[in-house]
Amino acid sequence: MNYYETQLERLSKTTFGNQWQLDTVIGIRNYINNNYDQDLNLDLLSQIRYVSKYHLLRLFKRYYGQTPKQYLTDKRIEMAKNHLKNGMSVTETCFAVGFESLGSFSTLFKKKVAMTPQEFCKEQLSRSIESNE
Amino acid sequence: MRVKGISIPVLDQEKALQFYTEKLGFIKKLDIPIDEESRWLTVVSPEDQDGPQLLLEPVPLHFEPSKVYQEALMKAGIPYTQFDVDNVEEEYDRLVKLGVEFSIKPTVMGTVKFAVFNDTIGNNIQIVEEL
Repeated sequence: MNYYETQLERLSKTTFGNQWQLDTVIGIRNYINNNYDQDLNLDLLSQIRYVSKYHLLRLFKRYYGQTPKQYLTDKRIEMAKNHLKNGMSVTETCFAVGFESLGSFSTLFKKKVAMTPQEFCKEQLSRSIESNE
Repeated sequence: MRVKGISIPVLDQEKALQFYTEKLGFIKKLDIPIDEESRWLTVVSPEDQDGPQLLLEPVPLHFEPSKVYQEALMKAGIPYTQFDVDNVEEEYDRLVKLGVEFSIKPTVMGTVKFAVFNDTIGNNIQIVEEL
């Protein structure tokens, strides 16, 4: 067994030794991945895994390094980028990934991607023209 | 300030280019001659061709401490570089069929599944699937 394998074995017993906690956070992440377009909140997520919302928040952040809400936002923006690349309109995309208003979608999109959804669409269009030339 | 790329030390740039394109499936992005021995050689993921570039850097050939460091990492089994994949098992099967040698088969630990392979030019590489 080399040094890396020895360290992995140690970490699997110490840092990653609680299977219930792991099953809980993995289950929540999968639920977000499959339902990011729905109205998700911490109350709902905690009911799914029968855990208090504060405990869930703490556990999710411990294992994934961000809160469920931050993860959900990243997931929605990632999916929005895919939709926009595939030619979906900005308004359709906004609702398809679970945002309730165009304003909050545009604001978050700009914060995460450093351009508005409209600018992102224009850039995709110019790239596809370039690649076809 | 943006993250445009990361470099990986390689013992042979041409061999590295073959491995990273033909086996791993990356695409050559830049290939600029620097001198008689070295090129500014980068590859990108086919899924993110405008994303970060991986610079295949021949530094162990010119800088002894880099070579010592790379050899020590290899001996210890430590993967200094890792790539995300959608499915570790599928990628493992695909690469094994291409003759790639793994030091760690697909393993679940914590919230990830991972495996480690030898890139044949001096590095252990880890592939990771988030669970």
